[in-house]
Amino acid sequence: MKNIDIIHETSFIDTLEEKLDQDGPFSSWELFKMAYDAELTTITKDFHGLRALEFLPHMNFLPHQIETAKQAIEEMNGRAILADEVGLGKTIEAGLILKEYMIRGLVKKILILVPASLVNQWVKELNEKFFIPAATFRKHYPWDQYDIIVTSIDTAKRSPHREAILDINYDLILIDEAHKIKNHKTKNYEFVRALKKKYCLLLTATPVQNQLIEIFNLVSILKPGHLGNYESFLEKYGRDRKKINQDVYLKQLVQKVMVRNTRKDTMLDNAKRHIETVWVDFTPEEYEVYNELDRTFQPFSSFSKITFLRELCSSREACFLSLQKFANDEENQGREVLLPIIDKIGQLPHHAKALRVVELIKQIGDEKVIIFTEYRASQLYLQWYLQQHGITSVPFRGGFKRGKKDWMKQLFKDKAQVLIATEAGGEGINLQFCNYMINYDLPWNPMRLEQRIGRIHRYGQEKDVYIYNFAIRHTLEEHIMKLLYEKIALFEKVIGHLDDILAELNIDSFEGEVKAIMNESSSTGEVKIKLDNLASIIQHTHQNTFQEESHYGN
Amino acid sequence: MAINLNSFLEDYFTAHHCEILSNQDGVLKVQLNEKMDRALMNRPFYWHYIKKMGRDGDPMPLTLITNQDSLEEQGERIHFGSPRLQQILNHLKEHERYTRLFEVVHANENTALHPWLVVNIKISYIGKLKKDEVFSIGLNLINGIMKTEMMDSLLDKDFQAQISDYCYTITPLIKLKSGYNRIFSVINQYIHDTEHEWAKESLEELETEVDLLKHFYEGDRDEDLDQMEKELQDLNERYKPKIQLKVINGGIFYLSTK
Repeated sequence: MKNIDIIHETSFIDTLEEKLDQDGPFSSWELFKMAYDAELTTITKDFHGLRALEFLPHMNFLPHQIETAKQAIEEMNGRAILADEVGLGKTIEAGLILKEYMIRGLVKKILILVPASLVNQWVKELNEKFFIPAATFRKHYPWDQYDIIVTSIDTAKRSPHREAILDINYDLILIDEAHKIKNHKTKNYEFVRALKKKYCLLLTATPVQNQLIEIFNLVSILKPGHLGNYESFLEKYGRDRKKINQDVYLKQLVQKVMVRNTRKDTMLDNAKRHIETVWVDFTPEEYEVYNELDRTFQPFSSFSKITFLRELCSSREACFLSLQKFANDEENQGREVLLPIIDKIGQLPHHAKALRVVELIKQIGDEKVIIFTEYRASQLYLQWYLQQHGITSVPFRGGFKRGKKDWMKQLFKDKAQVLIATEAGGEGINLQFCNYMINYDLPWNPMRLEQRIGRIHRYGQEKDVYIYNFAIRHTLEEHIMKLLYEKIALFEKVIGHLDDILAELNIDSFEGEVKAIMNESSSTGEVKIKLDNLASIIQHTHQNTFQEESHYGN
Repeated sequence: MAINLNSFLEDYFTAHHCEILSNQDGVLKVQLNEKMDRALMNRPFYWHYIKKMGRDGDPMPLTLITNQDSLEEQGERIHFGSPRLQQILNHLKEHERYTRLFEVVHANENTALHPWLVVNIKISYIGKLKKDEVFSIGLNLINGIMKTEMMDSLLDKDFQAQISDYCYTITPLIKLKSGYNRIFSVINQYIHDTEHEWAKESLEELETEVDLLKHFYEGDRDEDLDQMEKELQDLNERYKPKIQLKVINGGIFYLSTK
C-alpha cells in the first residue's frame, strides 16, 4: 500500500463552488445521467480480457489473433515480438493490442515505424479496421502534435526529426519488419534503443535469420538483460544459431517475449491452396528460334544468354527489346550474328503462353484473376493481348506511386477482371477478394513465389485459392519447375525456412545461385545434376535444422 | 453495452434540443442545431466563414443507424466503439460534469429540501494492467448521512433546474469543501483496507526487470549508463503501481426528506 502512488485530481470541488457562486451553468438531469452512463459503459472492470473486441464488432478475429493479443498484453506486459508467419495477420494482432491499450487509457502517444512503402497501408488499416486515428508525417508539422503517427525509420532517424522524436515520451512504439534492425552496430538499432517507450511491439516474419546474436539484439530492445548482457551471451552461446533449438532454457526465455503462430498450428488452411503446373509447348517456329538463340549465344557471355532465353519464354517483346539493345551496343563484338534472330523473333506468331492464358481465363469464367510476370514488356503485351480477346485488365508495377496503386487496386476490384503485376508490384498489396493466380513466369527464388501467393492466400481469404504455374516444356523453365519447385516440395514445409536455410548454407541470393548454375553448366545434363544437388542440400539442411522449430516461440 | 443505443441517442439529441425527424427500425434521423453541429460535425471553417458573412448558417441533419441489419444506405452506422459514438460519449463526459438540481415535488404545503452533495468517482488501478471501479456517493449536508450507490437511488426521482412550488431549501450545515473531503476520506479508507495483489505483482515484476537491466549494463561505460537511466524510467513508467482518482461528475441535489 505504501508503494502505491495515489493521484487525486482536486480541481472538481473548486469549479463546482465557483459555479454555485455564479449560479451555473449546470447540466440538466438527463445529460448528467447520460454522462454517468457514458462513463459506466467505457470503464474497464477487469484487469484481464480484451475489451477491444466489444469495440470492434465488425471485425472477425481469428482465435490465434485474439490469443496473441492477450498474451502480449497480459503475460508479456506490452513488450513483445510478434513473429507469425506471413499472412496470419500480424498487423491485425498489433492493431488489436493498440486498441486495447487505448481503450484502457494506458496509451496515448504512439510511434509506428514501418517500411516507407507500407506507411499508407498502415494508416488506412488502423483507421478503417480499428478506428485508430493514425496519421502520416507531414513536413513542417511538429512531431509532438501527433498522437499516433506512422512513418519510416529512415525519416524518423534523420535530423532534425531524430532529436524531436527522442525528446518525446512515447507510450508505445511499434516496428514493422523488425528483422531489419537486428544488427546492434547499425544507426537504426541505436536509434530504436534510444527511444523513450513504455510498451514496444516488434513485428517480423523471419525472427531468426543468421545468428543467434540477432535474436539477442531484438530481445534486448524489449527487455535488456533478459538474455544476459552482450559478453555473457556470446560466451555462453557463441555465434552459432543452431543452439536455440538445442538449449531448452534459452528457448523458454525467448518464448517469454515472442509469439510465433504458424499456418500449421493455426489451421488457417481453411482456404486451401490448389497448385497446378500448366505445361505449355512452344510452336515449332518458337522452338526453332529458342534453339537458335541458345546456339548462337555460345560465344557471348553466358549471363546474357540465360537472360535472353528466359525472356523468350516470357514474350517475344521482352526478348526482342533486350536483344536489340544488346545488338546496338558497339562494345559487344560479333553482335551482327544476332540480327537474323532478332528478325525472326519479330515475325513469330503470338506467344504460346499468352494463348494459354486466354484459354485459361475463359475457362475460369467471371472470376478475378491476378497474373504475375517478371517482365514489363510481357506485362504490356499481355494487357494488349487480353484486350484483343475482350478481357479487361489493369497493370500494376512497383514503380507506381501509392495513390496510383490504390487506384489500380480499386479498378481491379470494381471494373477489371484481371490484374497484371510485375514482381515489385506484389509487395504489400492485399487482394483477398481474388482467388485465382497465374504465374505467367516463375521467379527463380521460391520465397518470392510464396510472397506472390501470400497476396491472395492470407488472412481474410474465404475461398480456396487456385494457383497456376506456367512453364514451357524443353526450355530452362522446365528445369526450374521440375528441379526447384516440384523437387523441393516447397509448398509443404521448407518455404517458411528458406531464408534461414540459405543463411545456414551461406548462400546470399538464391536467384544468384540458380543463375550461376545455369551459366556455368555446359550442358542440360549438367544443369539438371547441379539443380538437383541444390534441392537436395536444401532439403537436408531443413531436416537437420528445423525439426524442432515448431516448438520455438509459442 | 449497458444502454440501449437507439434510445440513448434519441435522449441525447432531445436533451440538446435537436429535432428528431424520425426514428424507425433503428434508423435515427435528427436535425442538428448550431451548437450540436459545432460540437459534432468538425467544420469550424464553415462556421467561421458563415458568421463572418453575418449569416445564420445551416446545421446539418444526421442519420445514425443502430440496427446493424438495416438496409438503409444513407447514413452512418453507429455502434459501440465507432468513432461517432466515442465522440458523443466524450462530449458528454467533458461537458456534463457539474449540476445543481431540485427534486420535482408536487406539494400543497411547505416542504423542506435537504442539500446533498453527490459525487461520482472513478478509481483506476494502474500497474502491469489496469482496471476501473466506479463509486457514486451522496452526502447529506445537513445531517452528515452518507449513501453509496447514490445515482441508483436518484433514478426513480425527477429533477429540474428550478425549485418546485411550496418548496424551500435548508442552508447546509456542512461546508461544501469539508463534505467533499469526508467523501474522499471514505474512498481513501476503502483503498487502504483493500488487498492490492495487483500492485504487489507489478512491484515484483518491476524489481525483476530492474535487476535484469542492471546486469545488462554491468561494467559498461558512463555514456551507456545514460541509456540505462532512460530504461529505468521506462520501467517505472510501465510497472510502478498507481491509483488514480477522478471525479466523473457531481453537484448539489436538493431532495425532499421523505
